[in-house]
Amino acid sequence: MKVKSILAALGLVAALATPAAAQNFGPPELIEAAKKEGRLIYYTANFAEVEQEVIKAFNKRFPQIRVEMVRAPGGQLITRVKTEAAAGKLAADVVDHSDRALMKDLVDLFQDYAPPNAADYLPDVLISPKLWPRVTLVWSIAYNSALIKNPPKSWMDLTKPEYGNKQIGQVIAPSGGTTWTRVMFERQVLGEDYWKKQAATNPVLYPSGAPASDSLVRGEISISPLLYNIVYPKKRDGAPLEIFFAPEGAPVNPYASGVPKTAAHPNAAKLFLNWCLSEEGQTFLIKDQGNLTSLKKAPLYPEGFDPKVVKVWVPNFEQYVKLHGPWVEEWNKTYGYRQ
Amino acid sequence: MVTAETAAFAAPVAKAERTAQFRTVAGWLWSGALLVVLAFLVLYPVAMLLLGALTNTNPVVDGFGVFDLSLENFLTVLGNPNVHDALVNSLIACTGGTALAVAIGLAFSWIVVRTNTPCKDFIGAASLIPLFVPPLVAAIAWSILGSPKSGLINTLMKWAGLDWRIDVYSMPGLIVVFGMYYAPYVYMFTASALRNMDPNLEEAAEITGAGPLRTLFTVTFPLIAPAIISGMLLSFIVMLGIYGIPAVLGAPANIPVLTTYIFKLTNWSPPLYSTAAAVAIILMVVTGALVVLQQGVLSGRSFTTVAGKAFRPRSLDLGPWRWLTFALALLYLFVVVVLPTLALIVAAFRRFLFIPSAASLFDMRHYSLIHFDSIFDNPLTMRSIWNTMEVGLVTALAGGVLAFAIGYTIHRSHAPGRRGIDLISTLPVAIPGLVIGVAYLWAWIGLPGGLYGTIWILALAFIARFMPDTVKALSTSFLQIHKELEEAAWVCGRGLLGTIRTIVLPLARPGTIAAMTLLFILAIRELGSSLFLYTSDTTVMAVLLLDYYEGGNTGKAAAFSLVQTALLAVLIGFATWLSGGGTNTSVGRAG
Repeated sequence: MKVKSILAALGLVAALATPAAAQNFGPPELIEAAKKEGRLIYYTANFAEVEQEVIKAFNKRFPQIRVEMVRAPGGQLITRVKTEAAAGKLAADVVDHSDRALMKDLVDLFQDYAPPNAADYLPDVLISPKLWPRVTLVWSIAYNSALIKNPPKSWMDLTKPEYGNKQIGQVIAPSGGTTWTRVMFERQVLGEDYWKKQAATNPVLYPSGAPASDSLVRGEISISPLLYNIVYPKKRDGAPLEIFFAPEGAPVNPYASGVPKTAAHPNAAKLFLNWCLSEEGQTFLIKDQGNLTSLKKAPLYPEGFDPKVVKVWVPNFEQYVKLHGPWVEEWNKTYGYRQ
Repeated sequence: MVTAETAAFAAPVAKAERTAQFRTVAGWLWSGALLVVLAFLVLYPVAMLLLGALTNTNPVVDGFGVFDLSLENFLTVLGNPNVHDALVNSLIACTGGTALAVAIGLAFSWIVVRTNTPCKDFIGAASLIPLFVPPLVAAIAWSILGSPKSGLINTLMKWAGLDWRIDVYSMPGLIVVFGMYYAPYVYMFTASALRNMDPNLEEAAEITGAGPLRTLFTVTFPLIAPAIISGMLLSFIVMLGIYGIPAVLGAPANIPVLTTYIFKLTNWSPPLYSTAAAVAIILMVVTGALVVLQQGVLSGRSFTTVAGKAFRPRSLDLGPWRWLTFALALLYLFVVVVLPTLALIVAAFRRFLFIPSAASLFDMRHYSLIHFDSIFDNPLTMRSIWNTMEVGLVTALAGGVLAFAIGYTIHRSHAPGRRGIDLISTLPVAIPGLVIGVAYLWAWIGLPGGLYGTIWILALAFIARFMPDTVKALSTSFLQIHKELEEAAWVCGRGLLGTIRTIVLPLARPGTIAAMTLLFILAIRELGSSLFLYTSDTTVMAVLLLDYYEGGNTGKAAAFSLVQTALLAVLIGFATWLSGGGTNTSVGRAG
């Protein structure tokens, strides 16, 4: 009896301790040094409101480290990084970017870094041993349920004239790496003429997914292909939205994140990435934010995403790099977006 | 032969000569120092901008000072159809906006100065409020009110069963918002002209049988034409340089103007800095031409006030119609001040800005402090407020001191090179804020370890940008101090610095403080030049507000707009109190 209760107590302790003990966020020296640094500057191409929640969750684990976020759409963020780096004034301790191809060009700016659970990640998503898929984003289609009575059910439905006349919102192809993934998917999977048919519905164009999702909630537009992580939290909080993964496939884009050589708070930066890439971090990113993961074994899937039903589509990286210029230009022409 | 007497006389003469020589050398040194400062602040960045426009090298990639000069780059830009589109859109929006601003401004000045409309003084003072509203805040408020599908006005129209809808995401929308917010520029000019006009001519017209309307259009308005044209050109110039309004209202409808196009160029990957420089020069040339035109009109304005004798402007008795003019004035204030503020409040406190019906608008369950929590959770918010205060303070102090030195040198001294100093310090009038930003970017970005990335580059850009306004504001207080007082100090044996310290400084102090406060207010609401010069560590409020807006959360943007507006209101109240009621109205070209 006594032994049993001791065992039970130990079991309980073990169960309580498991999340922290099993999670390896780095050697104690790193954690200590990170706490001493006390802050880090975090450049991200992901959505600000989404990342603010990530920072909050990180601060629950490490309240001593203040994360200052600078957010810009992918294209603008890379410009900022390049400009600041050239002037010798790169302020970022972590750069977190949606376009792995653009980040690969800048790999020399980054220092060696790998998370403690590096071996658990899918090798194909790593474009450099210095850059890691902190988040893995998936595209969905969302609509304002208060406005749309006959919702679309597939990507092809978004070409139907009944959804014409500025009901659909589209994020522009040159916005960043995630949109480029979607645009590639549309042409390679849905057909060479998909853009043309879709553009014929006269969609409203947005520079990034964040304003598009805001417009969708406000009812400016009624339907929009959007990254699941920008619409899922809004729906969770009570916005009039419905979201689905279309049967033709769900384009997925892993990010590339690293620590610049010039980081003023390298330990805090590494600890932040270690936490994000840990199972605890990835679980949070999946469960609370609706992301997927690039871990070989996903700890879970986001609500509404059934891996047996949804066909995940990951771009071929070589084509991702090669086709970008000419295809984005063609997309711009098709959609009448001026550069 | 030198007698004792002449020797005794020669000594002071020699001393006087030495003093005079010293004065000349000191004068040249002083003017030289001022010219160097001005060259550093104004000429060097503008020269770099010109060089930038003539090259196709990228200062970020190729480093500083590598210029492959040719006119080709500039000519390519001139031939680019996108540039033509942006230029044409700019001209249409500003022309339309100016026409509306003239109509509103003129009507207002007539109501306030020449009629017996009730509460005229209140209307006159309140009609200047739009001058202090940051353009970006106004634009965000109007996007909440007038977006085609979900705008609050449209929601209420639908609820009221009216078929009428408005769409501010359009060229007419841009024109109306421009016109409403820049009408005070026209008002300022025309109201003072109407006040100073001799009413005899109007009386003469009426005696010859002309009705009040005919008198208004054939006598009154033609007489104040120079003031109208002057206010018109100023409002046109200001609109041309504004970024916030076309960025918010033009972008969703794909209407690029010169300012938004320039910003876009620097945001592409790779950024097209040289193209941006070339477009910036086009903008500067158009603005410069208009400034020259305005100066020409202003120099000829003396013919408006005819008589030297005392007179009071006639006040037209409108009878019961005075309630109509009163209602019109209130309507304007409601549309320009009250409605946008209400929109910001609704958006800032509402969880989601989806308002399917009027009932939902008043359902208190939809309201919370969530957006305020969220913006103050972000460490950048406090940092931006802090940075803004810091930049504002540095700008106000350094800019105030510099403007004092320039103003005194131009108006009160015989220092050599005064004309040059005057000219260079007035030059930024013709340079929109956004262009100053690009010029400073070109001047400093390629220099590692330089000013780029510090608070100082923002402060220096603001000082340069607002120098003409500050010098002008200060000059007025110099001109009010009679030369006699300074001469008295001279006679009493005070030196130049002693005179400045004991006479000029104390007398000009209220004016100087007012000018510095004005500079502070202008600096904390400046967006155009900040856009190119901030880094993560030096983000200012105006830039962060744009970030919140473009980041796609209208609620947060509205909440932060309210924070910025409240801060500005407190500062303006303080400034008004400090300057004894008459806050300087040269908020002028800020955007």
